[in-house]
Amino acid sequence: MTTKSHSLKVSISGVRGVVGESLTPQLAARFASAFGTYVGRGKVVVGRDARTSGPMVKNAVIAGLLATGCQPVDIGIAPIPSALVFAEQSQSAGGVVVTASHNPPEWNGLKFLSPRGLYLNPSQVEEFLDIYHQGEFSFVPADKFKKITAEPDPLEPHLTRLLKALDVTMIRERKFKVVADCCNGAGAVLMPGFLEALGCRAVMINARPDGTFVRDSEPVPENLTEICRAVLEEKADVGFAQDADADRLAIIDERGEPLGEELTLALAVKHVLTETPGPVAVNVSATRAVDDIANAAGVPVYRTKIGEIHVVEEVIQKNAVIGGEGNGGVIWPRIHACRDSFSAAGLVLEMMAASGKTISELRDEIPFYVMLKDKVEATSEEGHRIVGELRRRHAGENIDTLDGLKIRFAEGSVHLRPSNTEPVIRILAEAKTREEAARLLASFRNEILRPKS
Amino acid sequence: MKLLKIGISGVRGIVGETMTPELAIDFAAAFGTSLDSGRVLIARDTRASGPMLQAAVSAALSSTGCEVMDLGVCPTPVLQYLVRQLGAGGGVSITAGHNGAEWNALTFINREGTYLNEFQGADVLDLYHLEQFHKASLADIGRILTLDDHQETYWQALTRFLDLQAIKSAGFKVVIDPCNGAGAKYVDEFCRALGCELIAVNNEPTGYFPHDPEPRPRNAGEISAIVKITGARAGFLLNSDVSRVSIVAEDGETLSEEYTLPLVADYYLDKNPGTVITNASASRMIEDVAARRRVRVIRTKVGQSHAIHSMLAEDAAMAGEGSGGVAVRGFQPAFDGFLTMGLILEMSAARQKTISELVKEIPRYHIVKEKIYCPPFKVHSVVSEAKKLFAPEDLLLIDGIRAERADGWVHIRASATEPMIRVLAENRSEEKAQADVDRVLAFINQLI
Repeated sequence: MTTKSHSLKVSISGVRGVVGESLTPQLAARFASAFGTYVGRGKVVVGRDARTSGPMVKNAVIAGLLATGCQPVDIGIAPIPSALVFAEQSQSAGGVVVTASHNPPEWNGLKFLSPRGLYLNPSQVEEFLDIYHQGEFSFVPADKFKKITAEPDPLEPHLTRLLKALDVTMIRERKFKVVADCCNGAGAVLMPGFLEALGCRAVMINARPDGTFVRDSEPVPENLTEICRAVLEEKADVGFAQDADADRLAIIDERGEPLGEELTLALAVKHVLTETPGPVAVNVSATRAVDDIANAAGVPVYRTKIGEIHVVEEVIQKNAVIGGEGNGGVIWPRIHACRDSFSAAGLVLEMMAASGKTISELRDEIPFYVMLKDKVEATSEEGHRIVGELRRRHAGENIDTLDGLKIRFAEGSVHLRPSNTEPVIRILAEAKTREEAARLLASFRNEILRPKS
Repeated sequence: MKLLKIGISGVRGIVGETMTPELAIDFAAAFGTSLDSGRVLIARDTRASGPMLQAAVSAALSSTGCEVMDLGVCPTPVLQYLVRQLGAGGGVSITAGHNGAEWNALTFINREGTYLNEFQGADVLDLYHLEQFHKASLADIGRILTLDDHQETYWQALTRFLDLQAIKSAGFKVVIDPCNGAGAKYVDEFCRALGCELIAVNNEPTGYFPHDPEPRPRNAGEISAIVKITGARAGFLLNSDVSRVSIVAEDGETLSEEYTLPLVADYYLDKNPGTVITNASASRMIEDVAARRRVRVIRTKVGQSHAIHSMLAEDAAMAGEGSGGVAVRGFQPAFDGFLTMGLILEMSAARQKTISELVKEIPRYHIVKEKIYCPPFKVHSVVSEAKKLFAPEDLLLIDGIRAERADGWVHIRASATEPMIRVLAENRSEEKAQADVDRVLAFINQLI
């Protein structure tokens, strides 16, 4: 592996780069000018996560939008699902969110939203990037400039939808004790109010939306020791850990044990199918438990390529009642067709209230699988080449090449794919026992690292 | 053809064409890089594109590791004063001064509160061309802050400098037209501080310019009528960032903007004698005023940067241009419209004379100013050709050509801000001045 990784990623998720290297104000302004040209003036929602480089990038974005005759509506720091809901509700021409999701603090980036409050789909992204690459932006003369407006209550549409969809009365009666860890990210601006509205006694940790990510933002068990301890100390009913832009959720049970992020989706699916059975849409990696649950409910599961945009499209196309990704990103279309940690948290609390069971009890009712994840450093090019090689090597087995390579075994699977957002190859192994999952993981990690002749 | 003018202290262009977010970001990043971090104050006038450029400049400065303090809509002289006062590393003024609404510009201010000098400007331009901008890592990204309530320091300094007592006891009525530019509403504070009654027109910070924001008689018709009706002591016309002023006398006479400097000098040099700096185009009136006080006049190239830096280098008492910008070294090294108005009012109060009486004490010249369009790439050669019209011994080659005449002079130069050649002639006789200008215009026309 000799080619050097660079720090700029342009993909269907938007653009991300490292502050002080590739993520410059020039780049951000150019992308914003391209976006302003693409949407053709109009109101454009501008939100950001809590990163400290946010103001710098946001200013560059606002400059590009104003110059192309758009009217930026500044919603400040907002959870990403709130920004998406607001973009739809406010009848905007689109939106730009300054965020780099769970990437380390020195990253930042831009995501682009359609007037329906969805991420641009692949063909929209292609059109938009064409404009960016051509570099011909529709700048307006001085007399056509609009003014920036600041939205006073940008989280209200999202919160209202949540409180209408959930059985608030039933949840409030339980007065759940909840520990919430917002990672000092955007979730901190809404989580306290949300929990309060649900009558919870909330213990907030890492709830300053100032971007000081005290833990690695991915809500995976190794990053959750603080909240696990807090749940035990506080004798809480449940712990919720968000990622930095609040679209993913990890759950800690009342014993201080993290459930593993695949369980967030599994629990949400189970609960929604109990109330409103219907199609389920998840990505190709998500746990087999989802299939087991859906089969039991007699509904189909549709699997898609990794990437929120793909799952969202499938949710919409198939009129799914629930969907998401195994990384803790739950899509509950009743609120909005996007990953939403607040939807996930609300559904879990409702599930606990409706069943009268503890989280660990509810977890035990989910078909048991062990999911282990790993990642190996590789550039995009290397990653695709290696996975291609492995596809050929395993061609005779039960493989699925929808996204990378998934090989299904009798009671497990392994999934390999180059990431779109970081220079790595992701490996997921699933099995009935930890030993088997670990074995699968190690075996395929070796296959990647050792180029066979 | 696209209009972009890069000067010593900054860059100006047409919004939507040459004045784009990327240009502003690159220039501001070059400026931020040249400062090597520190705090930068930014201000803008009321143009509609101001917020766009303010956002671009903020992002750029932050990315080079400078801390940004945004003053919002604020006149350039106030920005310049605060840069020095707060010990900032520099400032950026987002304004196109007297240019029409379709323009905007960035002017860079150094830590002394002055426009960049030639070397500082060249430094920034080099960095801009090299595209070698300092890219601060996350820990060093500059904060972007807003500074409210900043005016007070400036008014305190101004009122300490002026003879407040004299002005207040006179209880003047004053008409001011800030052209809905950065001076709007600031003039209210100005008059309150000086104890004057203000009658303001075009005093909303909307950026809608009812006339070109250029202080000169052709734009002073409105305040002339109001001065007469209200019996005001004087009227003042400001440009869009309050760096230049023209005056209307109590009888409604709209004075040429050429009068601003000699009038202020006539008073200020009394108590503070010293050299006066002006440019090669300014009226001879300043020489007559200076001669009375036995002080020198030194003529430099056009532009606030040249005037101010020459004032500092020569240890001069004051500097000014024929376009209505005046600086007094004892207050701050910057063209300052509030200071200018304050000194005129103090002069009228202290000497107990009306503006028209004060004007009568200055020898009257006639000045004819014309400008003719010329493609930027031809400008300098055309100007140079015009030397042929005059005797070599009469020529001063600063800023194009200045030729001495029997009772006046002629000046031909490239505009710093537009694709024009400016032809100016001044003479005791108006006919002679006009004839000189016509002769030059005919010559140029034939060349283009």
